[in-house]
Formats: sequence, C-alpha cells, structure tokens
Amino acid sequence: MFDKAKPEAERLFVGLMMGVVGRGLVATSISDETVRKELTVFPAGYIFQMMVMPKGPSFTTEVQADHSLKLLKNFQGKPDLCVRFKHMAHAFLVLSFQEGTARAFANDRMFVDGEVSHAIRLVRCLSRMEVLILPKLVAERAVKRYPTIDLGVKINLAARIYGRVAANFLKGA
Amino acid sequence: MGKAYYEFFCPVKVIAGHKALEHVPFELSALQAKRPLVITDKGVVAVGLLNHIHAAFDGAEAEIQGVFDDVPPDSSLQTVREAAAMYRHHNCDAIIAVGGGSVIDTCKAVNILVSEGGDDLWRFSGAHNLKRPLKPLFVIPTTAGTGSETTMVAVISDTDKGVKVPFTSYFLMPTAAVLDPRMTLTLPPHITAMTAMDAMTHAIEAFTCLGANPISDAYATGAIRKISENLLKVMDNPSDADARLELAQASTMAGIAFSNAMVGLVHSLGHATGAVCHLPHGLCMNLYLPYVLEYNKDVNGDRIAELLLPLAGADIYAATPKAQRVDRTIETIRQMRDALFDRCKLPRTLLETGKVREDQLELIADLAINDGSIVFNPKEADREELLGVLRLAWA
Repeated sequence: MFDKAKPEAERLFVGLMMGVVGRGLVATSISDETVRKELTVFPAGYIFQMMVMPKGPSFTTEVQADHSLKLLKNFQGKPDLCVRFKHMAHAFLVLSFQEGTARAFANDRMFVDGEVSHAIRLVRCLSRMEVLILPKLVAERAVKRYPTIDLGVKINLAARIYGRVAANFLKGA
Repeated sequence: MGKAYYEFFCPVKVIAGHKALEHVPFELSALQAKRPLVITDKGVVAVGLLNHIHAAFDGAEAEIQGVFDDVPPDSSLQTVREAAAMYRHHNCDAIIAVGGGSVIDTCKAVNILVSEGGDDLWRFSGAHNLKRPLKPLFVIPTTAGTGSETTMVAVISDTDKGVKVPFTSYFLMPTAAVLDPRMTLTLPPHITAMTAMDAMTHAIEAFTCLGANPISDAYATGAIRKISENLLKVMDNPSDADARLELAQASTMAGIAFSNAMVGLVHSLGHATGAVCHLPHGLCMNLYLPYVLEYNKDVNGDRIAELLLPLAGADIYAATPKAQRVDRTIETIRQMRDALFDRCKLPRTLLETGKVREDQLELIADLAINDGSIVFNPKEADREELLGVLRLAWA
C-alpha cells in the first residue's frame, strides 16, 4: 500500500527549507558583499522565484534599489526568472543537500524559465549562501568546489545571516 | 557507479544517405502534408543547393509552394514574421529548412507562429510554453556542425529591444533531419573544418561534462570516431561523398548527444568570444577545446582518457598506458588542429585569428562566467581561472 508519510514529510521539509533558503538569500544579500556585487546587474524590481511544480512550496524575492533582496509574500504574477523543480522529491534532494545545484540541473531535476545568464548568477548567490551558512562537510555536497574562506569571516557572516533569518521568521514575514 | 538519474529524448527521424532528399516527398505524404514551404538563405540559393531539392520533388505528389530565402546570419522576429506570412499566403502545411543554425532556428520559430496563430512570438518564449505539436518540420542541414536539427531550442533576435529571445520546448524538435551528402559537398575547406570541430566539441563536452549519460555517451563516442576518421579525408578530397556523409551523420549524432547531455566551458568561452569578437562559433570551439580539457582534467581526467579510443583508434589506445591516456587524448586533438591549420589555416590560438585584442580577454571572461553552459562544466571556474585559460589560448 502507498505510504503517504514519506511524501508528506518531504513536503513539510521542502516547505520549511524554501522558507529558510529564501530568507537566507535575502539576509546574505544584505550581509555579504560578494552576493550584493552579483546582484548589481539586476534592475530594481527584478523578481526571482524558486518553486516546486505544479503549485508546491516556493519563495519569491525582489531586487531593491540598493541591490539587496526583499522577500515577497503571496506573489501571484509572472516572475522575471523562475527556477522550477519538476517534483517535490527533486526539491527534497537538493534542499537536503544530497544533490548539488549544478548536478541537479545536469540531472534534469529542475529547469529555468527566464534569462539563463541571470539564473547562473543566482545559482552563484545560492552557492555562496550555502558556503557561508552550512558546515563545510555539508556545503561541500551542495557546491562544485568549496572555496578558500577564512573561518573567522565565515562565522561572522553566518551569525549575521542566521540572525536576520531568525528575526524574519519571528516577524512572520 | 552509474549515473544516479538521467533523461534521454530524441523523436527526430533521421533520413540519411545517398539520395536521401528523394525520400522527403514520401515522408511528407505519410504525414498528410503536400504543400511545404522551403525556408533558406541567399548563400544556399547562390551555390545551387535548392536545385537538388526541386529535383527531388519532381513528379511527386507534394509540391513546394514557395521559397523564402531572406534568412540573415542572425535571424530576427521580423524575419520570422515575414516567413510566416509567406507560409500563410501560400496555404502551406509543412516547412522544409535548408541551411545552417540560423535557418533552422528561424524555421522552428516560424513553426510556432503558423501552428499557434498570430504574430506574437514573445508569448511562447522561455521554457516549455508550447502545449501541443506543431506542423511538420523537415531540416536539411547544409553544414555538418551545429546539430540544431536535433535540438529543442531556438534563439531569435528582437532587434527593436536589442535582446535575444530563447525558446525551449519538446514541440520545437524537427520532425525529421535529412542528411544527404550533396548538401555539404560544396562547403569550402575552412567552413568544413570549423563546423566539424564544432561537432567534435559537442560530442567531447557531452561526454565529459556533468550531464553525460550512457545513451548520450554512445552517440558522442560514435560521432567522435566518425569525425576523427573522416575529417582529414574530406579536407584532402572535398568531393568524397562517403566521407562527407560520415561527417553529416557525426554532426547529427553529436547534436543528439549534447541536446541530452549539454555542453560545458568550451561553449561558455566560445559564446562569449563570439559575442565580443564576432568570430564564428566553430572556430571558437577549435580554439578553446584542448585548453579547457587541460583545465578540467584534474576533475574528469578518467572520462577524457576514455576518448582516446574513438579519437586515435584501438592500436594507440591499447599501446598507451592508462595514466598517459588523458594527455594523449589532448595531444591527439592538438595534432588534429595542427593538421587543419596546415590545410586551411584554421586558427589554433586567439592571436592567430588576427581579430582578437588582448585587452578583450577580460570582457570575454566576464561574459563567459555567466553563460548558461558553465553550470554543466565538471570543474568550477571563477573569473581569474577563466582568464588563465584565455591567456593560455592567446598564443
């Protein structure tokens, strides 16, 4: 008999992690110079979305005038760029860091709707965030190559990002 | 360990061989199509290649209703609309593309308009925004390189907005690819060489990058073997129809491989160089291929080493110790480039092109790092590392 517990657990996990990744990306765009530099090419108002097809968990961010990101709630329009996971199980693989982002693209787990060069930049932003907030052992599974980064810098930035994410969750944004 | 997951898809019927063109009328009638529109460019018309097409339709039930020959090298939405208008004016029911990448992309976009109606292509841009099959599209390539006859992608310029509009859909894949050696017999040597190296790069990157899978591997290695065995034959004897056909098949096989496994850093650098310096795509592939393999080899050397067999043959593969195969593979590619340089002066370095300035390398790196293909390269590459590869390829 079909066991509903596993998909339901995956859905809950993916929903939670979409919230964490979305808020993490916003916090990283405020705290980290590298990510903000990547975002300078995007015009204010540019909307990026990551979602699970067909209508699964998602997050949507908007580029601000100072090149940081803002999380949008209940966005219903067409984003400028959307990265779509084809199935909840695929999103689970990526968001539980069992499969890196580049590998997931290569394995057809997800696809880009929008300008591909913009997607490449946002993948780099996601990778940078993962390097900053995850322990090295976990981050190494999520990115192609773990970069050289001073541990003190990493801990400092991670603390600021986690602080902003926690505050954002508490505000219910 | 095998690949954890992959997809492979190629619904394109391949019609290949001598007198392949003469099969087109029957294949159209099998699809209930009798009124095809031919879409091509002035160059194809000038060298008389359409004569073969017209001759193939002589006495057939299907009848060519018109020829649209105004496709420019970089096709535009306006061109697509004009071709679609001709299709509608003649009440056509199928499209025959005769040409290279630009003609084929134009035909895919025309097929969207004539199948879906209207003149607004933008609403179908992006990924998977077509929801039903389009009209029959037969592609007759006149170069052996792009592989566009097997892909689900088209890129058309919006000249008003100054942007390129991408379209990706399974329904964009042509109905059939027709490979007839008569269509490539008149290709000049340097175009033969650069388009073959384009196909070679498609196959090598499909095999060595992150999207490789067992089925694309089979197509990729088959394509590499055919190019290795036949490219210099064609360069030495351009009227060798059998060898021309082998190259045409290799190009299509490489197209099937890379449309399922994607490509990597050679293409990232090549797309950027094409945009900055306006060099032909195949030439860029020839420039960067060995340097990128050198760059990648500490991550995927085992995969590169496997290519020695289709590139150099069983005797050399067997005589080369396993640890030396990766370098021997790259050396074999360098030797092939040298042989092409001797025969048609196909540049091997950026300096040899005479069209690239050293101060353009930074801009090339800036564009390459955001190219879509870079995500599939097995080894991460930052801007400084790209500049390192570019400096090696300089001279």
